Amino acid sequence: MSAAPETKKQVAEIGDKYKYGFVTDIEMERAPKGLNEDTVRYISAKKSEPDWMLEWRLGAFARWKEMREPNWARVHYQKIDYQNAYYYAAPKSTPKKQSLDEVDPKLLETYKKLGIPLHEQMALAGVAVDAVFDSVSVATTFKEKLNEAGVIFCPISEAIRDYPDLVKKYLGTVVPVTDNFFATLNSAVFSDGTFVYVPKGVRCPMELSTYFRINASETGQFERTLIVADEGSYVSYLEGCTAPKRDENQLHAAVVELVALADAEIKYSTVQNWYPGDEEGKGGIYNFVTKRGDCRGHRSKISWTQVETGSAITWKYPSCILRGDDTVGEFYSIAIANNYQQADTGTKMIHLGKNTRSRIISKGISAGKAQNTYRGLVSVHPKAASARNYTQCDSLLIGGKCGAHTVPYIESRNPTARIEHEATTSKIAEDQLFYCLQRGIPQDEAVSLIVNGFCREVLQQLPMEFAVEAQKLVGISLEGSVG
Amino acid sequence: MLEIKDLHAAVDGKEILKGLTLSIEPGQVHAIMGPNGSGKSTLSYVLAGRAGYEVTSGSILYNGRDLVAMPTEERAAQGVFLAMQYPVEIPGVTTLTFLKTALNAQRRARGEKELDAMSVLKLVRGKAATLKVTEEMLKRALNVGFSGGEKKRLEILQMALFEPKLAILDETDSGLDIDALKLVAEGVNAQRSPERAMLVITHYQRLLDYIVPDRIHVLARGRIVAEGGKELAHELEAKGYEHIVGKAA
Amino acid sequence: MSASATWLDERRAQARERFAAQGVPHRRIEDWKYSDLRPAVEGANDDAAAAWSIRMRPDGVEVFDLAQVDAPDWVRAHLGTLPQSVMASASLAQARSGFAVRVPRNLAAGTLDFEWKGAGSGRALIVLEEGATLTLCENTRTVGFANLGVEAIVGANAQLTHVRIASRATAAVQVEEYAVQVARDGLYRAHLFNGGAKLSRAEFQIVLAGTNARAALSGVSVLADGAHADVTTHITHAVGHTESTQLFKKVAGGASRAIYQGRITVEQGADKSDSRQTAKALLMGVRAEADLKPELEIFADDVKCAHGAAVGDLDADSLFYLRARGIPEAEARNLLVHAFLDEVVTGIADDEMRKFVRAMVEEALPGAMLP
Repeated sequence: MSAAPETKKQVAEIGDKYKYGFVTDIEMERAPKGLNEDTVRYISAKKSEPDWMLEWRLGAFARWKEMREPNWARVHYQKIDYQNAYYYAAPKSTPKKQSLDEVDPKLLETYKKLGIPLHEQMALAGVAVDAVFDSVSVATTFKEKLNEAGVIFCPISEAIRDYPDLVKKYLGTVVPVTDNFFATLNSAVFSDGTFVYVPKGVRCPMELSTYFRINASETGQFERTLIVADEGSYVSYLEGCTAPKRDENQLHAAVVELVALADAEIKYSTVQNWYPGDEEGKGGIYNFVTKRGDCRGHRSKISWTQVETGSAITWKYPSCILRGDDTVGEFYSIAIANNYQQADTGTKMIHLGKNTRSRIISKGISAGKAQNTYRGLVSVHPKAASARNYTQCDSLLIGGKCGAHTVPYIESRNPTARIEHEATTSKIAEDQLFYCLQRGIPQDEAVSLIVNGFCREVLQQLPMEFAVEAQKLVGISLEGSVG
Repeated sequence: MLEIKDLHAAVDGKEILKGLTLSIEPGQVHAIMGPNGSGKSTLSYVLAGRAGYEVTSGSILYNGRDLVAMPTEERAAQGVFLAMQYPVEIPGVTTLTFLKTALNAQRRARGEKELDAMSVLKLVRGKAATLKVTEEMLKRALNVGFSGGEKKRLEILQMALFEPKLAILDETDSGLDIDALKLVAEGVNAQRSPERAMLVITHYQRLLDYIVPDRIHVLARGRIVAEGGKELAHELEAKGYEHIVGKAA
Repeated sequence: MSASATWLDERRAQARERFAAQGVPHRRIEDWKYSDLRPAVEGANDDAAAAWSIRMRPDGVEVFDLAQVDAPDWVRAHLGTLPQSVMASASLAQARSGFAVRVPRNLAAGTLDFEWKGAGSGRALIVLEEGATLTLCENTRTVGFANLGVEAIVGANAQLTHVRIASRATAAVQVEEYAVQVARDGLYRAHLFNGGAKLSRAEFQIVLAGTNARAALSGVSVLADGAHADVTTHITHAVGHTESTQLFKKVAGGASRAIYQGRITVEQGADKSDSRQTAKALLMGVRAEADLKPELEIFADDVKCAHGAAVGDLDADSLFYLRARGIPEAEARNLLVHAFLDEVVTGIADDEMRKFVRAMVEEALPGAMLP
């Protein structure tokens, strides 16, 4: 865990604390500014979508116009002007690439800075990367190996054209078009995203990973991810997010839908490091995301792990609908808010089937003048006999000017269900810090060490290479927060 | 190596050390004895640089450098080690991770090359066995759920690992039974060397039967009130602190 | 209440404005998510006055009937001055009956026992001066819609023990608001018994305003078919070195609903505050529902805050153990449910009060254990 020095060097090289805060200078193609039916049609046309998809989008847009932005979360921000943003942006030179060698070297350089050396990954890591640069998928690797296993892993725009039946069957079935303001907006204007289908009985031969990146200014990013694990299959999906630093706030409203059929398992891991704004709270991403998984078949399992260190505002509640009997839902979360960041995040575990089990481990860290809220629902419906939930919510405060809040909702309507919830609040003790310093560990590194210890149960859930990155991020996010 | 001159130090504005003078040469083991509240732990924290322990006047020279001006972690990197009376628990951080982080932080500060995980593990294993620090302990979170003896053994293991120039042992014997005490004392004795100075702080004479000091200082009300060879410990044991402290006052 | 005093008219007018601005709360209001008051009070008579009677009054305690004119200074100084929730604003604006109690400085007053009856609005003000102690025993036997607002000012080093008994009243809609302010070294202790109503809502807004101020709340809800009991608490640690504890247990049978919403706020700078909160519910059948929301809102870093909540059935191992020793299942269940609730009841220090609450539990439990 002696990550800090190395990371510090990287940070110093880029010249700021936020190491992903550079802009790639590539010519962009954009939809006209603003949002109306024509914007929706433009996006659909750019994607060469079939009519049914356009209709779906237009339906969503019509509903969205009637909806109101939610205000129940503990986050405060200036009203978003939805007409003052671009809803589609793509690098101009984007004919389909046959191999990485054809990709614009500037893009590849960007990925290198992001820490995703595609070539190296192909050779060593065995991770297939579907890299989304703004709205267009740039390069997809490892397709062949996945093809052999019958796994479909492609940009969702491609899936809409190539696998319309699968997409039609599942899209919008977990997060309905009218689910909430931001999800509906996404349904109307989503520009790209990822589609994964793992056939019956297949264990996906590698971790799937997508790095999303917002690059163009004034551009909202609206990805749509749909992952379907057919009966008895398994897939682990990794998602990492970064964005350049800009003074204005940018909106990110993604939707992720997971469907696990009987005996299937989906593991979804996120390391979210969107630009959080500067130390005065200027700029940063508004991260309003709807993520939901449906354990549709018996004995299926969906596990969410998230490390949220970025964004000016985070509004996200990756949830599980435990529909099938004997299904399992998990939510492991680390949310760090420093400076003026606001995070309102948590989960919903909806127990519908018999013997359904869920587990929630949430670690919230607040520093600076940040506000960090855990908001979670555990709901047991009358038919969910013998349902079980365990929830552990721990908050760590660094400094006396931040806030840590816990808002759990526990609703049970079955007498055989058992729900347990525990929450604690603590701070980094002076004696812990002194002990580390006395053994020669500098303050920032000590804070990183102690906080990583506090988060350990969650970090352990991440795949190895992600865990290392996450640990570094924890350190960077809290630099200078003590003393 | 260590030269303390007319040291005054305060905690929360209250003066605890009131003109303490003491010097230690490499290779020597000095003991500081004294009743409760005499300022023993304050001295150890002042030497290690704990926040809130303020030097109001006097000086501390460490190998010719002004120790007071050095940040806490730099003192550690330059060889000042404090084995604490109450080692601190850090949940979620495994002992091995902690050892590696600390070792590499010190090496980095001294401009030495950092060690990879395997090298650290080998190094730790080599020193752990004689102190009966098990692999299982190394995997547990630092000091969490450790017994009193385990915590103290781990402190001595760290001393062995970091190879300090000045080791301060603050009440290392407190709360230990005789077997645990012997084990710890053996660990300490094994590390006596011509380059290393040790300052053993204790309330009880018993420890000094096992770690035999070159010199003993008696601390009371923030000052050294008596000094002598190892025989002073027995005099204290026989006559009690009151006798000597009273005589000095 | 005294109709002619202008100071009172002003406070009522302000309260009426606050209430008008928010209206009767309904389930889309976050704090009322589990108790929909709007349909429950449709057609209720706003002008009705709830009847109160003091059944036992200790020596040395001053009582003032709020319907009288010429309120003494201590009533003027405090009535309607604590922060008012929306329904507390309504009771302040509308109440035409009520009373105020003053326990003078350093008086150890013993027990004051009173009762609310009938429908309508009522108000009470309890003032404990420095060093005073009082046990307040409150009994609620309302019908129709009753909205009762109680304010308590606990002075420095004073101790108020509040035992509040709401018997089962499945035709009634009871809303009670308790606003409590505790000064330094003061203690507010509350023990609640809820038999449940068609809709029952008891909300506590407690401010620990001085250093070493403490609040200790506990309660049981024993709910048979058709009962609804919502206990909502908000404890604010406004300064450092304050302490709060809460322990609430619920047994819900038939089609009943047990609700606990507890919010703890630790304000910026309120270091060394300590708060603990536990809520547990047992459901006796598939028609019963428990909703728990233990909430923490923390703005200071050097604090100890913990909460725990659990919903479930009786521990299967314990049940098996008892049956293996020859105790029939019904009896075994009965024993375990008693034990579950008794952890709360045994915490009542006053012997008389503890016996009284235990008797209430005994009476209500057979009904609540039916699925």
